[in-house]
Parts: sequence; structure tokens; C-alpha cells
Amino acid sequence: MFKVCTAAAIALCAALMLAACGNDSNTGTESTSTAHGTLAQNPPFRIASVDAATLAAQLGATSAGAQLLEVTGAPVCGVDFYYLTFWTTGAAGETTESSGALMVPTGAAGKCSGPRPIVEYAHGTQSNKAANIADITDTSNTEGALIAAMFAAQGYIVVAPNYAGYDISTLGYTPYVVASQNAGEMIDILTAARTALPNTLAAATSDSGVLFLTGYSQGGYVAMATLRAMEAAHMKVTAFAGGSGPYALEAYNDAIAFGDVALGATEFAPLILNSYQHAYGNIDSSTTPPFSSTYPNAQTLLPSTTPISTLFAESMLPETALWNSTTPVVDIPGQPVLSAELTAALAIPNPANPANAVFDLGFGNPYLLNNDFRVAYAEDAATNPDGAVPTLMAGAPLAKVKPTFGFRQDLWLNDLRQGNWGPIVPTLLCGGDQDPTVFFAANTQVMQAFWAATPYASAITVLDVSATPSGPFAAIQTGFQASEAALLAYLQTPAGGGLSASAAQAQVIENYHVDVAPFCVLAAKSFFASL
Amino acid sequence: MPRIRTIASTIACAGFALLGSSLAAADDDNYMNSVRLGSYSVFYHVHADDVSGPYVPPGVNIHAENLETLYGAYVRSLPYDFQVELAMGWPPLAKTKGVGPAELGSVPYNGQVVSEVRWFAPAILLEYNFLPKSSPLRPYVGVGANYVSFYDRTVTPAGQAAFGGPTRLSLTSSLGPAATVGVDWHIARRWHFYASYSASQVKSDLHADTDGIIRVTRVSFRPQALILAGGFSF
Repeated sequence: MFKVCTAAAIALCAALMLAACGNDSNTGTESTSTAHGTLAQNPPFRIASVDAATLAAQLGATSAGAQLLEVTGAPVCGVDFYYLTFWTTGAAGETTESSGALMVPTGAAGKCSGPRPIVEYAHGTQSNKAANIADITDTSNTEGALIAAMFAAQGYIVVAPNYAGYDISTLGYTPYVVASQNAGEMIDILTAARTALPNTLAAATSDSGVLFLTGYSQGGYVAMATLRAMEAAHMKVTAFAGGSGPYALEAYNDAIAFGDVALGATEFAPLILNSYQHAYGNIDSSTTPPFSSTYPNAQTLLPSTTPISTLFAESMLPETALWNSTTPVVDIPGQPVLSAELTAALAIPNPANPANAVFDLGFGNPYLLNNDFRVAYAEDAATNPDGAVPTLMAGAPLAKVKPTFGFRQDLWLNDLRQGNWGPIVPTLLCGGDQDPTVFFAANTQVMQAFWAATPYASAITVLDVSATPSGPFAAIQTGFQASEAALLAYLQTPAGGGLSASAAQAQVIENYHVDVAPFCVLAAKSFFASL
Repeated sequence: MPRIRTIASTIACAGFALLGSSLAAADDDNYMNSVRLGSYSVFYHVHADDVSGPYVPPGVNIHAENLETLYGAYVRSLPYDFQVELAMGWPPLAKTKGVGPAELGSVPYNGQVVSEVRWFAPAILLEYNFLPKSSPLRPYVGVGANYVSFYDRTVTPAGQAAFGGPTRLSLTSSLGPAATVGVDWHIARRWHFYASYSASQVKSDLHADTDGIIRVTRVSFRPQALILAGGFSF
């Protein structure tokens, strides 16, 4: 028996020795550095790889996807979707890991491999904390599908961040429209993507050195902030195309404070106020608390893994009522004229004017933000006005001096008219003048006016998709307007809900900002291709 | 690989040491020990949960291919027609194939060899022999335990393409019951021929780490093995 035990012991020892050795395959390397711009996982994980035919089939399987293909055209290239993780910094300089997408064209067609241009895309406001633009398997990732079909499937390498505060980032908030952070993160993911590219499974595709910056809505702002930062750092940018971005933050928010309440403002307000509290610490106030007692937790609510429709349904956030429908009577001691002007300016816009219907949705009870907060903001705006709102002055300048009210001071600081700069590369500013969410006049046209009398003006092309079709983007304008007309007609059919003409029109306006997106992205692609 | 040879040599040396001592001690007609060498045909009856984790579509599963390898065993007789068998195969390279969608995205999956792994799988069995020792044919049955350690775990290029990049596999070791039924044909004084059929339970948790993305499944390999071997008693 002793001998049996001996043999068994030897075998057991052998097993243990074997378990400890071997020639196992390895995975990628996780970076030990947390310096900003460092690729955290190299090579990056490939979420999916689809050839051109499969991408066309998958998109074409849904009506929304089929409509998208009508705008983008049939895919020429396959696309590898990589999940980038990288290190960046928050609004207050906090080190944080963030994530995003690297989409690499693949396939035999000439423009699907070899040196290819990079399109760096910044996405629009996202309430879903778990959103991952790289996850093409997620059917709710419409913006990811849009840029994949529009750019990657047409031979562009696409880089797109999810933004700090989303997905894997443990930052605890998102640095919403903080120009320096937004630009820094865009530069960081670009650095990480360039590190990753040679090590991907699609290594036949490489960076040609051509870089296009673009983005839509919040992303339009982020992309323009990036352009400003890259120009300041003498980094190479080939061209820029912004879509419906809130570039002129001070003018835009002054308009909202004075009653032109943007659709979506109750989503934007928690994001921006929480962001600026983290960045500058001047939002929370015992004397003028921003948030009404009905929504005491609203400031830290977004982004959230709870769908925003649920937040609305469960009364954690009002759907449209940003301001109190009982508007304030302003009484500034010793200033009866200013008090009267502000009282009038803060009243609900005349409901008899159909043009105000959308703005009037921004008033109600319960409401999100307190009257005292609104009055303090408006008083600052009245005494130190923006050069575009309420009155457009020559050159649409920022307020002459740094505002004193904390929130407005932050907007002034992050307004992209700051910095004595302008685009020195070909620039397209796209949007629609009916936009009820990010006002065309208070943003795109303000930037146009701001640069109108400068040498930068020659680099800038402005496209209003709702204007009479003309020029190089006439087909896009025609396409958008036909699409809106078709939607308007559809909403009045039984299949579309059988809405009245006015209700259908209201619905079209409500969807306008989102509907413009693919056409501005298409305009961006057309603009880049023309260079 | 050199380490495996070293270990095999160690086991062989130990076996010869046992052989020598036993030869000296054994009665000419009452051999207490035997060694066996033959072929091991392994048939897997894999049942695995669908692979779960980020970015895995439903229905992604795996299957192990059947294989053949070298069988070796040391058997020690015990009183009352019992014997104990310490058996193992030369660590075979088991190939795992993808089962499920024909393609993941546009990457072929179903039927592709996605990984390879070596098994170190010793088993110890307590066996009972029927019929007298003088009988030329002696059926036997046995029960025991089977230990499996997985090593040389590699993901093939096809597997890397399907999983999304370089992938590190880990499989937890398994200790499970084993059973055998066989027959011992006494063909000459010290020489025997054995045929047996064995089954064992091998369960393992598989973790695949692809660039930080973890996907998991629990695999029950349920191997069955046909063994044909010659034996020498001493």
C-alpha cells in the first residue's frame, strides 16, 4: 500500500507542477500608467467585425436603419468596432478612466485599408450613463450606427469618446460643456486611438495623418472646443464640421433665462449645473439654491442608468417645466426701472403667439429651477449683457466683464467666443433655424457673427438645412425638407397617429433637433470629402 | 513541453523503482503489480451553458472534439479480488469548436476551432475482479475519482477573431467521480490484454479574458473513454 501511495503522491505532485506551468495564450496588456492619453488596454477589445454586406443587411433590417442607409448610402467597407479604454482627467483635474469607440474600415475596396483619414466625432447629450457608442450590438445606439454607416463604412477611421462620467468612468458626474475638459478628453482618446491602431486585428488600416473633427449638439460644442485647443497647441487638424452645437453658452442660456426655454432644458440643467459645481464649486448656494424643493435630488440625477422617461414618469424630473409658471415680480431696491424691465422679461412669452408654443412648455408647476435663481441670473445678464441676447450687437461679443453670478460666470468662461481665436481650417457650421432645442440663432449664427469681421470668416461655411436649397449643400437641404414634409404627412395618417395638422406640426418641431442630425452629419461627410 | 517530459520521466522512474522492488518481492505466480500501456479514445459529451458576458449574442456555445492519446496505468492487487488502478493519458490536446451562430458579426464561428487546451487527468480507481485468478478472462468494474488540470490553454487565431482579440483562457481544475468496466484477458504468464470503458465527470468554469472583457461559461465535458491496452505483471 505504501508503494501505491508513493505513486499516487508522485502523480499528484506532477499534476500540481503541471498546473503551475504551461504555455497559455495571453490577453492584451493593461497599462500601469494613468497619465492622460494613455491607452488603458492594448490592443483594444473588438466588439464586432462586420463586412459591408452584413452591415447593410443589419441596418436594412429595421425601418430606421433603412432610412439611415438612404441618407448615408450603401456601405463600401466593412467595419471593425473596437472598445477603447483610456485615461483622461475630469473637470477638476481628477484622473479617470474613460472609454469610447474606434471604428476601423476593413475590406478589399481601395478606400477600406491602407492609410485612411480619421474622423473624430463627439456625440450629443446622453442621459443614459451606461451608453457606449462603440457597442454596435446595442440597438439603442443610433448615433454609433449613424457614424459607422456615414464614415467608417465609407473608408474613414472613426474615433468617438463616451465622455468621462459615462460607461466605465467612475468620475461620479460628467463634465458637461466644460471646454477645457471636453477638448482634453477628445485629444486623449485620439492619442489612445493612434496608439491602438497598429495593434488592432485590422492592422492593414492605418492613420493617414488627416484629421477631421465633427460632432452634433453637445458634440458640436465639444468638437469646436477641441478645434480651439488643438489650434492653440499647433496640432494638425484638417477640417472641422459642427452640427447644432451650443457654442455660445452665455447667449444661449441668457435666452433660456429670459423665457425662450429650450426643449430638453430640464435634462440639460441638471447636467450642466452639476458639472459646473464640480468644476468651479459656485453653483450650490444657500441663498439662491438652483433646484426647487420638489426636485431636491435633481442636480445629481444625470446621467443615470434609469431611463429618462422613467425619471419623468416617477416625478423625479419635470418633463418640460424648467421655470415656475408663476413668474417672479422683480424688486431690486433703488432700481424700479430695471425691476420693471426684468419682471416683464421673465414673464411667460405671449401664448397667443404660436411661435412661443414650444417655449411656453418650459413653464409649469411643479418646476425644476427656483425663481430666485432665475432672477439672480437675469439681474446679472441685464447689468452685464451678452452681445447677442437680448440684442444682437456688432460682432456678437461676450459680456464685457466677467459675470458675478456663479452659473453665468461659468457659462461665460466656457462660451466658445472666449480665447481670441477662430478656425484657421475649413469649417462648416450646420444646423436648422427651426431648432427648438439648441437655438440656431443664439449659437451657430452668433459664432458666424462673432467671426464675420475677422480673417477667420473666409474659413467658415454656414449651412441651414431649413433654408431655401442652394449652393453645394442644396441636395442635403432638399432631402431634409422632404423628410420633414414626409413626417408631417405621415403623422396625419392613421398609421402615424392621425394627428391634426397643428398637432403633427408640433410633433415635427419637437423632433426637429434629432431629425437634423443625420443631415448635418451627411453635410460633414460631404464637406470633408470635398477638401 | 520540456517540463512535461521531465514529469513523465519522473513518473516513469518512480514506476521502475516500484517495478524493481516488486519484482524482487513477488511470488512467481502471484504478481501483485502490473503496468499497462495502450490507447485512450476519448469521447466528449459536452454540455455547456451559453457563453455569457459583454457583447455576446445569445446562443454562443462550445464543443470539444473527440481525441485519442496514449494510456498508461499502474495497478496494484489487493486482497479479495480488489485492485487499485492509477491511470492517466498522455496529456492530450483537446480542441474546442464554436457552436452557435454561423458568424459573429461577419466572423465565422460555428464549427471553428476556437481554442486548444491540454488535459492532465490522472484517475484513481478501486476495481473488483470477477471470476478466479486462474480464469483467462476476468471482467472487472471500478469506481474512483478523476482529477483534471488544464494547461497550455491557447486561443486560436479563429478564436481571437471571434472573441475580439488576444484572449487568456482559464479553466478551473476538476475533481469528479469516475467509473469503469472492463475485461482482463490473460494471454501469457506475465502478459495481459485489457479492454475497458470509462466515464467520468469533469466540470470546469471557463473564463475568457479578451483585453479586459470577461466572458464565462460552465462546461461539463462528461468524457467517456475506450481503453485498449497491454499489461505486464510483476
